[in-house]
Amino acid sequence: MRIDRIRLVVQALFFIFLIYGGILGFSIGNAVPTMACIYAEDRGGSCFLYPFQRFMSLPWSTLLAATIVPFLIYLGTFFLWGVVFGKAFCGWICPLGFLQDLLTKARHLLGIDGARFRWASRERFQWVKYALLALLILIPMGIGSSLAGLPKLSGDWAVPFCQICPGKPLLPLFSGDISHLIIDFSSPVKLAMSGLLMGLTGLFLVGGFVKRRWFCLYCPMAALLSLFDRIGLIGLKKKGDTCTRCGNCYRACPMEIREIADIRDRKHMVTQDCMLCMRCIEVCPENKALSATFLGFPVFTASADGFLKRHGGQPPLTQEDLPHDTDSNGS
Amino acid sequence: MIQIQTDRDQKLTRRLKLHLAMSVREIFDAIALEQNRPVAMRPFDALFMNFAEAPDDILPAKPVKKVGLYCMTVPEEIVYAAGALPVRLCAGSADAAEAGEALFPDVSCPMVKSAAGFTRTGALPFYRQCDLVVIPATCDWKVKLGDILSRHVPVLMLNVPKHKTTETARLFWYDEIRRLCRALEKLTQTRITRARLRASISLIHAAQAEFRRFQDLRADDLCLISGRDAAEVANAWFYMDAASWTGHVRRLNEELHKRKQSGLGVIPKSAPRVLLTGSPVIFPNWKIPSLIENSGGALVCDELCSSGRLLWDMACVDEPLFDDMLDALADRSLMPCTCPVFTDANDRRVKLLRMIRDYRVEGVVHHVLKGCHPYDMELRPLEAELAAAGVSQLKIETDYSPEDTEPLRTRIEAFIETLKGRRLKSGGSF
Repeated sequence: MRIDRIRLVVQALFFIFLIYGGILGFSIGNAVPTMACIYAEDRGGSCFLYPFQRFMSLPWSTLLAATIVPFLIYLGTFFLWGVVFGKAFCGWICPLGFLQDLLTKARHLLGIDGARFRWASRERFQWVKYALLALLILIPMGIGSSLAGLPKLSGDWAVPFCQICPGKPLLPLFSGDISHLIIDFSSPVKLAMSGLLMGLTGLFLVGGFVKRRWFCLYCPMAALLSLFDRIGLIGLKKKGDTCTRCGNCYRACPMEIREIADIRDRKHMVTQDCMLCMRCIEVCPENKALSATFLGFPVFTASADGFLKRHGGQPPLTQEDLPHDTDSNGS
Repeated sequence: MIQIQTDRDQKLTRRLKLHLAMSVREIFDAIALEQNRPVAMRPFDALFMNFAEAPDDILPAKPVKKVGLYCMTVPEEIVYAAGALPVRLCAGSADAAEAGEALFPDVSCPMVKSAAGFTRTGALPFYRQCDLVVIPATCDWKVKLGDILSRHVPVLMLNVPKHKTTETARLFWYDEIRRLCRALEKLTQTRITRARLRASISLIHAAQAEFRRFQDLRADDLCLISGRDAAEVANAWFYMDAASWTGHVRRLNEELHKRKQSGLGVIPKSAPRVLLTGSPVIFPNWKIPSLIENSGGALVCDELCSSGRLLWDMACVDEPLFDDMLDALADRSLMPCTCPVFTDANDRRVKLLRMIRDYRVEGVVHHVLKGCHPYDMELRPLEAELAAAGVSQLKIETDYSPEDTEPLRTRIEAFIETLKGRRLKSGGSF
């Protein structure tokens, strides 16, 4: 069984839970570090960022006094989630990640070749997620208190990241709610934000179809979860002395992380964009070169036998057995 | 192409055929005296006997286009996907090297001399029968080989980026591989489709699976197969159809596995375990493997483009789409290649240290063909690094001619004795 198929199933189950879990009364809280949208009516858990921005928009006097205990409990929950699952949220749980993976799957079925970033372009956009993270902290703060003597921002700026996150219009659609697919003309700020959101949602769908996981490169949640790359219980380890640098892992990586193939002298391979999808381990043909660990113990390890088994299929016995049909996707 | 053969040429061809047949028979006469050799080696022996007995029957009799290849950097999957048969033309005959000598400077690679000798004389018919010869411009010799061969056969040169870790190198190579695709499609009038690519990747995966199993068996404490026989198995890949080679190696692996269970090795455990690395070892030039084993060593593994490296690296099918599979093939033939023509020598050092550990190697023999400058260039720093890791090494500089066999034998024997001494000193037993 290929891990990317297992992953798709796990993602689907989490998707159903996070979008519809509320119907049966399930909920795993509102500090989940993944893009489970708060605007989805029947959600079984919701994104950490919405309450976080709400907390940030409280005046300092309130945040540090009356709401300090709920705020700390809330941060602690997030911390626990992060330590235990870390980036696995991105690869295995995130509903927006799942939607992008579905788009990729659809592209495969249609037989359309995908696109990749040029190395320089990919590096050029690395800062975006940190900038978004900084903004989603600073803008709410500017609502509650005045920053550096500037006038307070209006309430139209509330939860700014949610206003431009493609999850807001897309995920409620699954419970039949189309009310977020709008451009809001009620104020200039809202008009700008909702206009931007509609544009980004279009980009999300088109880009996600063309390039695997293309929106994840800009996700501020990935930047937050990067805090747990080293201390998380799930790890991705490389044994450089068995690596041939064949580049299989880099080519198969949905996030196009080059370090996984190029770097030999580092053991910890969970980098800022890694989503722990384990695809690199699956396509690595060298015994023990890559492995996923839980609490330091290997749980999934690269091997030549596994590689061949997963590539499966009975090989043609003679050259004449090669198929002669033509498909629409030749050179 | 019109060929005018003069009397002198014809004489040269006749002499080469005769001498080649003599050296092939000499090899197999010696092999016939060996006991305990795996029976499953027979199909491989039969193939190489044809070099003497029936040169027309070396390649499988199939009505498909034949595409000659040099080096490992041409992915055979693409040739199969185009419906043609890949034939690796890298040659190892001292006599053919003599026939090609006049075309090259004094100190030049015997491999290209030999290949040019065969092509020029046509002593082995398939050198002329190839419908296309693909030469990647790896070392300086290959760069110029195309010009010489193109007088006799149609040649396609491939540009190989030498500093392969950059993005430009990769993209450039992807384009070269696509150019190769188009040339092959034109040749065979067959479109390389997604389905055909996927199937030919499976075809090669099957061969690679058997090859890896074979290498695992060689890593056993018991020497299940001689290094020369292992070279023979790998060399046979040059000329056999992938599927039949896979079948023969599968049978050999099964036999070796049985021998492993019954504890039947071909070389005593007392023989020091040797790794051979450097310039290629190609039939009939099995001089070095034979010398190592006749001097009491056990050649347990090699890091040669003619055998150990040949089928190691596997392409992964990530997206089952045309572009991705082609890129995968381009990557697998370029990125992990440890040929010293590439600037980065670190990959080869890491690979050697890993093999030394995995195969419990006691001594390393560096094989440098006179004129094979890339290996020579890389040797000095490599030797120092391996020495620092405590590895015993012997550097052999030679060519295809059997003239230096006796002095080499003396040196190799002395090396093997040293290895035995080291084993005793470190408390090992025989």
